[in-house]
Amino acid sequence: MSNEFDLSHPPFDLLTTEEQQLLISRLDLGYFGQDEVIIDAGQVTESVYVVLKGAVVELDTKAKDTDPDGGVIREYAHEDLFGAISIINGSSRYTFKTLEETIAWLLPKEVFLGLMEANEAFAAYFQNTLAEKARLLEQRRSEKLGSGDMSSFMLAKVGSSVLREAVILQSGTTILEATRTMREQHSDCLLVQKGSQYGMVTRTDLLEGVVLQDMGLDSDICDLASYDLLTVQCDDFLFNALVLMTRHKIQRVVVFDHNKLAGLVELTDVLSFFSSQSHVIGLQIERASNLEELARAAKGTTELINGLVAQGVKVRFAMDLLAALNGRIIAKAYEQLVPEEIRKKTCLLVMGSEGRGEQVLKTDQDNALIIADDLDWDECSKVMEKFTSTLLDFGYPLCPGNIMVSNPEWVMRESEWRKTLNHWTSSVEGTGLMNLAIFVDAHAVAGDERLFSNLRDKLFQTLEGNEVFYSYFAMPLRRFSTPLTFFGGLKDSDGMDIKKGGIFPIVHGIRTMALQFKIKETNTFQRIEALVEKRVMKRKFADDLAEALAVLSTLRLQQQLKVANGQAAASEGNLVSAVGLNKLDRDLLREALHMVKEFKSRMSHRYHLER
Amino acid sequence: MVLKTIRTATDKWAHKDGDYAFMFEPYDGDEVIALDCEMTDLDPQKAELVSIAAVKIKGTQVLTSDKLDIKLQKPESLTGDSIKIHRIRGVDLRGGEVLPDALEQLLQFIGNRPIMGYYIDYDITVLNRFIRPRFGFSLPNKTIELSHRYLTKVKRANPELQPDLHFETIAEKLGVPMVGQRHSALGDAITTALMYVRLLKGPVPTS
Repeated sequence: MSNEFDLSHPPFDLLTTEEQQLLISRLDLGYFGQDEVIIDAGQVTESVYVVLKGAVVELDTKAKDTDPDGGVIREYAHEDLFGAISIINGSSRYTFKTLEETIAWLLPKEVFLGLMEANEAFAAYFQNTLAEKARLLEQRRSEKLGSGDMSSFMLAKVGSSVLREAVILQSGTTILEATRTMREQHSDCLLVQKGSQYGMVTRTDLLEGVVLQDMGLDSDICDLASYDLLTVQCDDFLFNALVLMTRHKIQRVVVFDHNKLAGLVELTDVLSFFSSQSHVIGLQIERASNLEELARAAKGTTELINGLVAQGVKVRFAMDLLAALNGRIIAKAYEQLVPEEIRKKTCLLVMGSEGRGEQVLKTDQDNALIIADDLDWDECSKVMEKFTSTLLDFGYPLCPGNIMVSNPEWVMRESEWRKTLNHWTSSVEGTGLMNLAIFVDAHAVAGDERLFSNLRDKLFQTLEGNEVFYSYFAMPLRRFSTPLTFFGGLKDSDGMDIKKGGIFPIVHGIRTMALQFKIKETNTFQRIEALVEKRVMKRKFADDLAEALAVLSTLRLQQQLKVANGQAAASEGNLVSAVGLNKLDRDLLREALHMVKEFKSRMSHRYHLER
Repeated sequence: MVLKTIRTATDKWAHKDGDYAFMFEPYDGDEVIALDCEMTDLDPQKAELVSIAAVKIKGTQVLTSDKLDIKLQKPESLTGDSIKIHRIRGVDLRGGEVLPDALEQLLQFIGNRPIMGYYIDYDITVLNRFIRPRFGFSLPNKTIELSHRYLTKVKRANPELQPDLHFETIAEKLGVPMVGQRHSALGDAITTALMYVRLLKGPVPTS
């Protein structure tokens, strides 16, 4: 760590060499004791401050008692700059106070204003809001990766892109009338209102109803409609509608504007809107009639995700899409290898990050099988071996912990599973709890889902009120320290394991809470959402936590892409160095880690981890 | 101390109408000079000056924008032996015009402010060796010894303690970062200055 004034990061790198020399020659150093007020609210500032060592907090003293964070606006540590906005505005809006002894470089006001006047880019840096700065950064990043502006792709909302007006008929309408209406309205599909409920009838439904089910032309279309409709909100991203359709293999979703029906979105329209390869892969998967064709589709996913991320698609959305595609690939492979009558009496689970839908590049196979008690299947182990090796061919690496269906320990009858789960929950030793943590993230992808949901519900029931268990289960949270000093500066500038220090604590903490509150979602973002709905977690905290996880996942993905491109060693896939990041990323990272720390301390308190 | 007092009184009398009378005025401002010199020898009677750095301290601010940083020509021809033989002459030759200029700048910069440093008496002794022959007086300024300040404060908090008085140790205990290169006069002067303002304000280290 150099203690020279660093000119290599924004905004000082925007200055010319002469301006930089002027700046250096006019710097002073100030020393401030603990809890010393550097700038008081309303005070006129005489300098811009850049922290050399220590930590400073920006406080809204008026909100001290009302704000849950005690009025903290921001914290500043090594190399962070403050006071500039106060100079630009004439006086300081908030109070700047040290959290610990602090040494800061002082740049006199007149020098700072002189530089702002002389250098437009330098001035613009201070006049932009942080959000604008982040957006510029995002833009520069995707420019660097050499692709077009993806914002139209990403930011398209359902309501303002390809929404179709729905044709709505009342219950009691006959098939004949319905068919006539469809023809008149050039529509493939209509909604039928039955009380407060909506059902959907497609041309196929009409055809099959009349031809296969022998219904008369004067039958009520109510009987034909399907009522388990999937819905999205008007202000959802169109991308989410695409993910939903991919996941459920459907062609249409119903759009609501809060509680009011707004229309329909059709797959073909979404496709023509995106005309990207994402759904091409989806279609390839659905149409694959043998394993070779499926393998071809599977191999396209990595490239797809790389492409999407390079184009600036948010990692969270990319993860959702990949999870949906992977889920379909795995299910389809299972269908190819396992006969239907067996499928009906088994349930294939994906677990770990795959189960949570949080893998970005192809991650290890983590899967398990539940077999109904009344099924005798001699070839089971042989077929499962084949299944594992097939997935390996598709590009999913073997699980180093051998948590796969090729391992008989993870292929059990329903009753055996029940016993095993009981064993895991009653033992407080590491392996059992670890296996349980893996199982809690499980998600059924093929076969009879009820086999799984029964087990899960039983698990929830067994653990109800068992406070001691949760305390043990949450204990690994304490295993890895989050690399922060007390005040929120980055402790180790050489690099930190972002998975252990940042991602794992959030994922595991949320997993523990999800288990306790019987939340069926496995995705961490969705679990957080569900915790808010159950009023276990406050909205603001939940949003910040989800954002922190998104920031950490993005940084991790960037590092993993570096590894994939040979720019970093394979062992450094989770290593993020604060030095290699630009100032804004570092700000985001610091705030994200700060959230992790806050979350960990709440978890410690909730589950009594301090012993 | 007594010796310095008598010497200063005599010098003051001799210079009361001279160019350097300001050096002898009592000081009533709030500034202190942090001073550090790099030298060729640990013996103050033999040491030659390599560089001189001084930084003003005002209150708890280290005015790095108001500093003196002079590097002197190195006596390349001067080996250890030649220093022994040619000490006086060598200094004259090498210093030529540069050393008197440097000292002149230093005196103007320091004025009658107190001088603070780490083992400051050593630096002052060497400086006086060169100042006295040229200007006819020794530095009359009040001096502040950093290690002494530190020792007093630590002892007051915990009389049992025998603190380590190495430069790096004090800096570490006080949580002051090393600024610039260690063993560059300016870097050490700034670090010393930071330690000084830290002792003025921060809590005393108790271990």
